[in-house]
Amino acid sequence: MANEKVDVVIVGAGASGSVFASVLAKAGKKVVMLESGPDWQLTDLISSDIWGRRVKPAGPPFLLEGKNPYGYVYQAGWGVGGAALHYFANFPRLMPNDFKVKSTYGKGLDWPIDYADIAPFWDKVADDIGVSGDAKAEEIWRPAGKPYPMPSMKTFPGGDVWKKGFEASGMRLTPAAVGINSTEFKGRPACIYDGWCHVGCPIGALANPLVTYLADARAAGTEVRAHATVSRVLMSADGSKATGVEYYDAKKEKQVQEASVVVLAAWAAQNPRIMLNSAGGKHANGLANSSGLLGKYMLAHFASNVSALFDGDLQPYMGTIAGQYFSYDRYDKNSYKDKGAFGSTFIVAGSAQRYSALGGVANARLDLFGPDLAAFMKRAATGYTRITMFGEEMPSLDNRVELAGDKDEFGMPLGKITHGFNDEAVALFNANFEQGLAIAKATDAKDVWANRGPMPTIHLMGGTIMGKNAGDSVTTSYGQTHEIANLWIAGPGIFPTSGAPNPTYTIFALSLRGAENLAQNFDAVAG
Amino acid sequence: MDDIQRRAFMKGAAIGALAFSVGGTEVMLTPRQAHAQNIPLKTLTADQAATLDAMGETLVPGAKAAGITNFVDQQISIPADEALLEARIMNVRPPFANFYRAALGAIDGASAAKYDGRTFAKLTPAEQHDFVALMRQNKLDNWKGPPAGFAYFLLRTDAVDVVYGTMDGYAHLGVPYQAHIAPKTSW
Repeated sequence: MANEKVDVVIVGAGASGSVFASVLAKAGKKVVMLESGPDWQLTDLISSDIWGRRVKPAGPPFLLEGKNPYGYVYQAGWGVGGAALHYFANFPRLMPNDFKVKSTYGKGLDWPIDYADIAPFWDKVADDIGVSGDAKAEEIWRPAGKPYPMPSMKTFPGGDVWKKGFEASGMRLTPAAVGINSTEFKGRPACIYDGWCHVGCPIGALANPLVTYLADARAAGTEVRAHATVSRVLMSADGSKATGVEYYDAKKEKQVQEASVVVLAAWAAQNPRIMLNSAGGKHANGLANSSGLLGKYMLAHFASNVSALFDGDLQPYMGTIAGQYFSYDRYDKNSYKDKGAFGSTFIVAGSAQRYSALGGVANARLDLFGPDLAAFMKRAATGYTRITMFGEEMPSLDNRVELAGDKDEFGMPLGKITHGFNDEAVALFNANFEQGLAIAKATDAKDVWANRGPMPTIHLMGGTIMGKNAGDSVTTSYGQTHEIANLWIAGPGIFPTSGAPNPTYTIFALSLRGAENLAQNFDAVAG
Repeated sequence: MDDIQRRAFMKGAAIGALAFSVGGTEVMLTPRQAHAQNIPLKTLTADQAATLDAMGETLVPGAKAAGITNFVDQQISIPADEALLEARIMNVRPPFANFYRAALGAIDGASAAKYDGRTFAKLTPAEQHDFVALMRQNKLDNWKGPPAGFAYFLLRTDAVDVVYGTMDGYAHLGVPYQAHIAPKTSW
């Protein structure tokens, strides 16, 4: 079934798609968003780690292989709002040393742009959706920019107790920049520090798409179709232009949505899955893939958590999941060169704690069960806190998305993600545990330990990287594919390297930069 | 709007308890209530239920009374995209019932091989503890199923869910739950 042709069809209603929809709808374009999951409302965001699983994918459209399988579901989105419906809203930014890694160190890749190209858009996003923090304090690590529109969040003992350990280690902490309201902002209330950010903030204090860019997009006329699963981008007969997308609706019936411009804003692995499944004619190996890099260079962060138990009540149940403080003091990519490591580290201290589920206190001692676990939980209920050290992996051609032989309910091949960390990343993972333990031991904690286990994959990036030309990448720095002018990619898939910080602030900023460029050049792009 | 008012404002939208079948009609109950009322199981067999009860209680004291078996049974009896199990997060391929059947079967098979034909529910508490300690480390002989350490992780998470992941669980720990939108009937 065909629908009326629109100016723009956007695949995915998460962080990046919402920005594109907002900018383009405000520019007068007719925009339709297709989202594979439900149309979540704020009232669906129940404060429960159990119920919070509802807003995440169910069942594998992706098969996971490799030395460090790409565990994506915890962080992926399913439904309107995408992963940003339940993200932590940590808003660190990349650093200047992230953009020319290949040129500087002879490893990884270069971005075709620099810090200064994105910086104005981080500032714009802050003004658009609200960021709390101390920008001036962060300038010990980064170039100056605009102040954040809100002051830093409140702190609690679970964060404050780490100051002594960092100071003893010669490291600095600043208040964390977060996409959460410390004061009322544009009619949205201030945070009440209940610690349920990660299952969705129903009061709108946290800047999820439902209360920010997606709300703006809808107000400007964007139509959002939920339960609409896109299987292919449709191409003109000569392969020069995208003409729309094929999707399956809530009744599992095939639909076609024609559009002048197609923006793929599904998540990092789903975009290449759709593009590979759209192969044909001039694009026999998948769309915009003459470089052979479509689906390649999948990236993830890893995290080294170090835990501490204190006497007394740290109020670990108070605050935000984002964390209270952060540090870039081990951001130099050669910070642990003597240990065989390479890559940046970004550190967060004092996240609010929940007690069950993947990130909960019970999993801080996965070795415990029975009465030992019960005793630990009693003690940890008020005395537990931790720091998280996010590490950077370098892009590798081996880390990739491909189509598998098995198919989903719509006949679309499943994706297969192969992923492994290299030796330098493993060394960084280990070095961060050592550093974290040194910090923890210098606090007043009674017990400290490293949460060692399999290296996790955290934050999902790459797969459709940006670059200078069709020979070295899939898209431009704006997300426009090199080979098909009216096919755009939005989101962290276009990151050629990951840095170490949480990516969503940069996703918003890059999407805003791309969307404004598309709006300014729309007629030429649409053709 | 102050904090208390804001929480109360959101409470009207609360949903939460799970749908259990009683006498052909659906009632909304917490797993603890379902266990206390001996609600019939839909998918798990009596033997599988006994194993899950015993395993849950060994992993997290209180899990049996908190309704781990009713919770899992109800969750594997509904469409996967409605399920609230950690299996969903760990990329287990639906239907999730297959994982639980395989894991519980592996537990009883390994138990019987190690302890003269006795299934896990028939072991002494000390034997159950020793068995789980080996299971966690993938060190059980005659284990035939999903990796033992992974089964330990998921079943432990289910047990933690029903014991600590609820409003009652937070109250037991002495910490405030502070819901924006409260799960109904403490769930």
